[in-house]
Amino acid sequence: MRTLTFFLICTAIGIGVFAAARLVDNDYLFFAGYVVLQYIVLATAWNILGGYTGYVNFGSAAFFALGAYATVFLHKALPLEISSLIVIDPLPIPVLIVIGAVISGFVGLGMGYLTLRLRGAFFAIATLALAVVLQTFITNWSFVGGARGAYVIRPNEIEPIGPYVQYLFLLMLALAVTALTVARFIERSRLGLGFAAIRDDELAAEASGVPTLKLKLIATTISGALMGMAGAPFPYYIGYLQPSSAFALDYAVNSIAMPMIGGTTSWVGPLIGAVLLGTLQQIATVTISSSVNLLIVGLLIVDCVIIAPTGILGLIEGRRTARDVVADPAVFALLFGINVIPIYFLHQEALTARPLEIIFWAVLIFLALARGRLIGQLWLITLPIVSAALSVVPGPPLQGLISILALVICLACGLLLRPREAATRSGTP
Amino acid sequence: MTALLEVDNLSKRFGGFVALDGITLSVKAGERLGLIGPNGSGKSTLVNCICGTLANEMGTVRFDGATMNGLTAHERTRRGLARSFQLPRPFTSMSIAENLRVPLLYTVNARPGSHLSPAAIDERAAELLSLVGLADKAKHLPRDLTQVEMRKLELARALAAEPKLLIADESMAGLSNTEVADIVALLIRLNERGITIILIEHIMRAVMSFSQRLVVLVTGKKIADGAPDIVIRNPEVERAYIGQ
Repeated sequence: MRTLTFFLICTAIGIGVFAAARLVDNDYLFFAGYVVLQYIVLATAWNILGGYTGYVNFGSAAFFALGAYATVFLHKALPLEISSLIVIDPLPIPVLIVIGAVISGFVGLGMGYLTLRLRGAFFAIATLALAVVLQTFITNWSFVGGARGAYVIRPNEIEPIGPYVQYLFLLMLALAVTALTVARFIERSRLGLGFAAIRDDELAAEASGVPTLKLKLIATTISGALMGMAGAPFPYYIGYLQPSSAFALDYAVNSIAMPMIGGTTSWVGPLIGAVLLGTLQQIATVTISSSVNLLIVGLLIVDCVIIAPTGILGLIEGRRTARDVVADPAVFALLFGINVIPIYFLHQEALTARPLEIIFWAVLIFLALARGRLIGQLWLITLPIVSAALSVVPGPPLQGLISILALVICLACGLLLRPREAATRSGTP
Repeated sequence: MTALLEVDNLSKRFGGFVALDGITLSVKAGERLGLIGPNGSGKSTLVNCICGTLANEMGTVRFDGATMNGLTAHERTRRGLARSFQLPRPFTSMSIAENLRVPLLYTVNARPGSHLSPAAIDERAAELLSLVGLADKAKHLPRDLTQVEMRKLELARALAAEPKLLIADESMAGLSNTEVADIVALLIRLNERGITIILIEHIMRAVMSFSQRLVVLVTGKKIADGAPDIVIRNPEVERAYIGQ
């Protein structure tokens, strides 16, 4: 598929999403959807440097915040009357997005030039340092609000779309489509092959004629620019921007966690990760307390790292390695144990948190399947399935008891039963 | 014949340790040169300095009539100076064929006046793989290869850059006798196609059957340079290898 075709299909899907969201006619959907889309852009941007090229960037929040503060700066500075004839009017958000991209792209280039001689953990620490330096700078720059923060009053409505938040949602949708198209284009081009060569072995890449420094600078610039684009509309979305919210650790952590969970070698990975994790975070924050939200998201990250070390994509592609690890008794017991805990919390929330609960049941069923297959006792899988089915049916507390019992039996059988081959092997002298 | 590679008074230090001490070496176009020396004598460092992986403090490297000092490794590769690594360093996430696409796209296509179409690149990769005997593994990942296949991939990737000079850094260590003979035969075939080759090797049988000329490094100094059968009878070389 050509890049243009892909872009058109993405745009069509984007228009479909927007139309569907309009049908629901609930502004909250746009508020929540904006965040998910923003994470698609951030995760995709991170992945261009982190996934394709193999350089882990912990400073995503800095690039995001740069885009956001560029907007704040221009919002404060404009309209600017240079003379009675020349007046610079406030800029529309699409222009601000381009400006945010240029600024963050330049900072990405500069950061790359300073830090790309470092590798592995050292590079990651340097990017973290960049974020701290920039945050300190912004905190002490009173024109953009300093530590107090800055208000950006947005209009309530905009022609012809209607509510302003829908306009912001639409912009972010366009950015997500752009980011995905860029990522996919890079992946299939000569550039992507060069990035992958750098990720696999930088020395061998250089010996094969790959101009590694130049390519790494291209990667940091594109990645930084996309993050800046994601940040530019943010002040209009949130209305009040302060350094601690623009430089929040959430952005850095999520833009790493999402591609990791989805899979880092393809543009689909960050998309899956961002949609999954972003949506879950939104659901959990609204339906449950935001502290349980953190517990659940943390647990899912732990699950993903162990069950799908190469991301969900890797799991789908059928690498059997993860399954073998999960089937190990100790790992099985640990994962089984910690994945039962959130089900208890979610149960108390009953109906509202059902989608989250289903995910944890799915994890339990997968674990039972992996362990059951290894020890040749596939019937183990029926126990979590029965428990899940029982928990869906509202009714007397007896069902809860039965499902707990079934889970305990599943865990015990999974641990006590040994693989048949191993038993015969130990039997022979 | 004119010299393709001229190394003049090359020195390299790591802190206080002198790894290379005034190496002067000249390789003619089309020559097969063997480079030997005990462990730690500076063979790999010399390769790294010639190829631009390491920067040398003193001396010059001239290749194909141009000074290489200050050029990065990829620029040197593009000018026709390719190497294989002592320990195979394949691109692990790519298939064997894709491994060869990297130098084809970034070296051959980066040279002025040369532009291979995607189809031509695939064809060239297939040609190279059948040359080294990996044609049936084109779609496999490097982790599916055996040691000897990995070394062949390493050579194929260096060859994909269409080098004038190929430096094979211990491409036979740890291989069996037949495998060694296999690779020596391959290298001689390549040489007959007009590629100058420097072979760095510990396996004397391979070096002796391959080399037209032999250079011996000991503790960063060149102690002998000449016809193989004369060089190995050199008392200094014997002392370095066997002791007094």
